[in-house]
Amino acid sequence: MKKSKNSKIAEKKRIELLELLKNRGLEIYDDLEKSKFPKFSIPSRSVSNIVYDKKLRQYILGNSTAIRSAGNMSQLRAFTQLVWLAFFANQLLSEQKTSTLRDIYYSSQAFEVDFEDQPESDNIIVDLEAVLARAREDFQIFPEERSSIFGDLTIEYTVPGYEGKRSNLSDHPDGYLIGPSLNTAEFVDTSAELVIAIEKGGLFTRFVEEKVDKKFKAIIVDTAGQAPRSTRYILRRLHIELGLPVVILTDGDVYGEHIAMVIKSGSANAAHLRELTVPDAKWIGVWATDIEKYKLPTIPMTESDIKRIYELQKDPRYQHGNWKKQLEVFLKIKRKAELEAFSKYGLTNITDKYLPQKLELAKSL
Amino acid sequence: MIEETFHQISPSEFFYRNRDLAGFSNPTRSLYTAVRELVENSLDACDQKGILPDVHLSIKALDSEQPDPKQYVLTVSDNGPGIDPKYVPLAFGTVLYGSKFGLKQSRGMFGLGATMAILYGQITTNKPVTVKSNVDGKTQEEFVLLLDIQKNKPIIQKHTKKDHLKRGLSISIVLEGDYSKAGSKIREYVYQTHLITPYASIKFDGPRKAEDDHQSYLKIIRKMPPPPTIIKPHPYGIDVETLRRMIADTHYQIPTVDNKMIAKVRKELGLQKKNLDVKGILDRAQRRWKNLSRPVRIVIALISFLQMEFDSLSKIRIDDIDVDNKKLTFWDFGESITRTIEMNPSSFYYKQLANTVQGETLTSFLAKRFQRVGLTTAIKFAEFAKLKPEKRIGSLTNEDLVKLTDSLQKFDQFLSPDPGCLAPLGEEPLGRGIMKKFNPEFAAVIQRGASAYSGFPFIIEMGIAYGGNIHSSGIEIYRFANRIPLLYDEGSDVVIKVVNEMDWPRYKVKGDVPLAIFSHICSTRIPYKTVGKENVADRLEIERELRLALQFLARKLSIHMSKRGKVEMAKKRANLYSKYIPLLARFSTKLAGKKKEPDCRQMIKVSEGIEEV
Repeated sequence: MKKSKNSKIAEKKRIELLELLKNRGLEIYDDLEKSKFPKFSIPSRSVSNIVYDKKLRQYILGNSTAIRSAGNMSQLRAFTQLVWLAFFANQLLSEQKTSTLRDIYYSSQAFEVDFEDQPESDNIIVDLEAVLARAREDFQIFPEERSSIFGDLTIEYTVPGYEGKRSNLSDHPDGYLIGPSLNTAEFVDTSAELVIAIEKGGLFTRFVEEKVDKKFKAIIVDTAGQAPRSTRYILRRLHIELGLPVVILTDGDVYGEHIAMVIKSGSANAAHLRELTVPDAKWIGVWATDIEKYKLPTIPMTESDIKRIYELQKDPRYQHGNWKKQLEVFLKIKRKAELEAFSKYGLTNITDKYLPQKLELAKSL
Repeated sequence: MIEETFHQISPSEFFYRNRDLAGFSNPTRSLYTAVRELVENSLDACDQKGILPDVHLSIKALDSEQPDPKQYVLTVSDNGPGIDPKYVPLAFGTVLYGSKFGLKQSRGMFGLGATMAILYGQITTNKPVTVKSNVDGKTQEEFVLLLDIQKNKPIIQKHTKKDHLKRGLSISIVLEGDYSKAGSKIREYVYQTHLITPYASIKFDGPRKAEDDHQSYLKIIRKMPPPPTIIKPHPYGIDVETLRRMIADTHYQIPTVDNKMIAKVRKELGLQKKNLDVKGILDRAQRRWKNLSRPVRIVIALISFLQMEFDSLSKIRIDDIDVDNKKLTFWDFGESITRTIEMNPSSFYYKQLANTVQGETLTSFLAKRFQRVGLTTAIKFAEFAKLKPEKRIGSLTNEDLVKLTDSLQKFDQFLSPDPGCLAPLGEEPLGRGIMKKFNPEFAAVIQRGASAYSGFPFIIEMGIAYGGNIHSSGIEIYRFANRIPLLYDEGSDVVIKVVNEMDWPRYKVKGDVPLAIFSHICSTRIPYKTVGKENVADRLEIERELRLALQFLARKLSIHMSKRGKVEMAKKRANLYSKYIPLLARFSTKLAGKKKEPDCRQMIKVSEGIEEV
C-alpha cells in the first residue's frame, strides 16, 4: 500500500490562497485610502500572447500584460466585478463552501454587481484565475460537468461536515463523481500501480465489470470526452502525490488524440494556469495505426475531422514522434474507429487482448 | 363574322366599375378613403377662400349592435364658403364635375373623390346623400340626392331651406364600412392632418365611447399660409409631346374652310345674302381689314390665291400650305382631284398666310407661354439651342422639337419655377406643429427652394425631431403630400427610400433612437404610384431634393447629438463612479480583513471631473 506523500496538501493550498487574496485586498484598500485609483495587472490572454513552453511541456501565457484600472471609465465595472469575485472567493474559501459557474452569476445579484449574462461572469472568473495564477477550482468554483473515478484508493474528506471521514473509491460499482469534495480530499492509500483514463462512460463501466482495476492494479478515470479541469487536476495529483503512471485510452480519431494531448500538456484556453497537466502521461490508443493492425470496423471522417487534423498539424506539440505520425496516418486513411469497435470481436476483446498488449507497449514509450 | 357592339358608358358607370382604383376596394379601405376625401374637400374649400378651417368629422353606426362590416353615417361639416345651391345637385350628383382643373396645388384632383364616396355609399346602402350648404350666413339649403349612375345625373329627392346663421358645407353619407379595422388609420389620419394643417381645428367623433374616438384638435397657429395661384409651365423638364401640344395650341395650322367658316366670313364682310366675285370680295375685305378677325383674314388670303368665290370655296378642302416651296394644295370635291397651285410670295396675302401657318417666333413663344422666361432669356436660349430666334414655331420639324426640348432641360439660366402655384406650409408653422405635438428636445425644419420634375414645380419641406414624446423604436416617418397625410403603402414610397438610404451613424444616430421625420411634398401634380394616392414614386428630381433636405437636417441633428453625447457622458461617468467606488471600498475592506471602510467621497467627486484615462 502506497501512502500519500503530501498529506494535508489541500489545506495548505487553501491557506496560501487566502493569504494571496488578502494581500490583493490590502493593495486596493490602501489605494482607496490614498484616493488613488486601484489597478490590476492581468496577463494578456489574447492569442498572440499564448506560447508553448517546451520546458514545462504545456501552453503558457507570454509576458504581455493588460492593466485594468478603476480610473478608466470603461473598465470600472469589470474591475469592480473582479474585486467582488475575489471577495466572494475569499468568503467561499473561509467558509469552505463550493459554488458553480452558474451560482456565481446569480450570487452577484445580491451585491449590486450586475453581470449581464453568464458568459460575462465566466470571463471575470478566468480573469481572476489569471491574476492569481490559480485555477477556479482552487477557490471553490466548479463547472457543472462531472466525470467519474473507480479503483482502490482510500480518501479522507476535508469538506465541512465530512472532515476525517474516509471512503474507498472501489466501494461503489458506478464509480465516484469527481466533484469538489473529491478534489479537496486527502489521498490516504492505494494498492494501484497505474491510472487508466478512458474517454467514454460506456467503456468505463465495461472496465469496472471486467475488473480491470484488479487485473491491472489500476485506478480507472472516465474523462467523459474532453477532460474537465477537475479531472485533469485529479489525474495530476494521482501522478504527483502517489507517483502513479497515467495512460490514456481514447477513440481512434483526431479528437481522441487531442483529448490525450490536453491531459498531457494542457489547452490554450487554460494557458494562464499551471498544475493541470500530466506531462508524463501516455496515450496508448486507439492509434491510427491500430485501425489497420486490429482490423477495426471504421467510419469515414467528416470534413471537420480533416480540417481539425490540418489545424493540429500547426501545433508545436504535434511536430514529432508518434503524435505527428498518427496525425499523418489519420489523414492518409481518412477513416476513424471508436473504442466500441473492438466489440466486433467480442465484448471483452478490448480488455482481454488489446489493453494488455498496449500496456506492455506503453512501457517502452 | 361576329359583329362587335360598342356602348358609351357614363363617367359614373366607369367609376362604378373601377371603384377599387380610387381606393374603394373593401369596407375598411372605403371608409378610410371616404373620410379622407370629404375632409380634404373641406380643407381645400377653406384654403381657397382664406378661411381658417373648422372641420367636424363624425362617424356613427346605424345599428351599433351589428358586427362589422356594417352601415355607418359619415358626416363632415366645415365653415368654408359653401356651394351655391344651384350647383349643389350637379357638384354632388354627377361624376367629373369639379372646379379643380387648373395648374395649382390642391389636396384632391378634379374633385372626384367626394363624388366617389357618395357613389360608393349609394352602391352599398342604397341610401341618398344629404348636402347642407350655406353660402351667405343667412339661409341653409338642404338637398337629399341620389345619383343616376347610367345617366350620370342627380336625382333630387328633397330640397328644403331654412334660416341658419353659420356659413359652410355639411355632407352626410351612409356607407358600408368596417370601423373596427379602419378606426386606427382614421384616428391616425385625423391626428396627422392636424399636424400638417396647424391652422385648422379638427373635431373627431367616432362610433365608440373610448376617449380616442372623441378628439378635438385646436388651432396651433392662426395665420394661413399664402394661397396658391394658377401659373404657366416651367421650361425645365417639359417633354416633346407637351411642347407639341403647346405649339398646336398657339397658332392656326391649316385653316378649315367649312360652311360654318364661310358663314363667319360672310357675316364679317356684311355679305350674308349677297354673292360677289373674287375681286369684289377682296376689295370689300381690304376696306374692312382692320375689323376682320384673324381666321377671316386667313380665308381672304386663301381666296386671293385660289381665285374662288364662296360657292367654289365650299367645294374644296385645303390639304397643305407649303410655305417653303410656296405651294398650296387642295382637294376638289366636285372633280375628285388634288390640285396644287403656286403662291406669289410678293403678294400682301402671302405674308398673312405664312405667319399664320408658321405661328409666332420662337422667342416670343417662349416668353409668352412659359414662366420665368423673358425676351432676353429667350434670345440667349435660342443661341444656346442653336435655333434662330425669329424661327417660326410652326416650321419646326420633329428633329427641331426634340432639340428644343433637350435644350430647354439643359439650359442652366432659367430661374427656378415660380412656386407661386404651390402652397407649402412654411418653416415656422411646420416647426410650431412639431413642437406642440411632440415636445421634442431638438427639432429643425427646412423648406427647399422650388424645383421641377417633368415641368411640374414642387417644393420639399422637411422637419426632424428628437426626444420628447417620440417613441424610440426605429425612426418614425410622417409622410405628407399637398397637406395630406399618407398612411398606406409606405414600403414603396420615395421618402422611406431616402430615409433608409441615409448613412445615419455618420450623423451620430445609432440604434433605436427617438427620432421622427416629417416630409411634405408640395406640387401641382404629385407623382403617385397608384390611384389610391398613398405612395410617391421615386422621380430623380424629387429624390434628390428630399435627400438634400434630409442631409441638411441630419447635419443639424448631429451637432445636437454631439452636445448631448458630451453631457450624457459626464452624467454617465458620475453615475458610474458613485455606484462602483463605494462597492470597491466595501469589498476591499472585507478582503483585507479591515473593519473601517476607506473614505472615498473625495474620489467620487474628483472622478466626475476627470477625462478618460
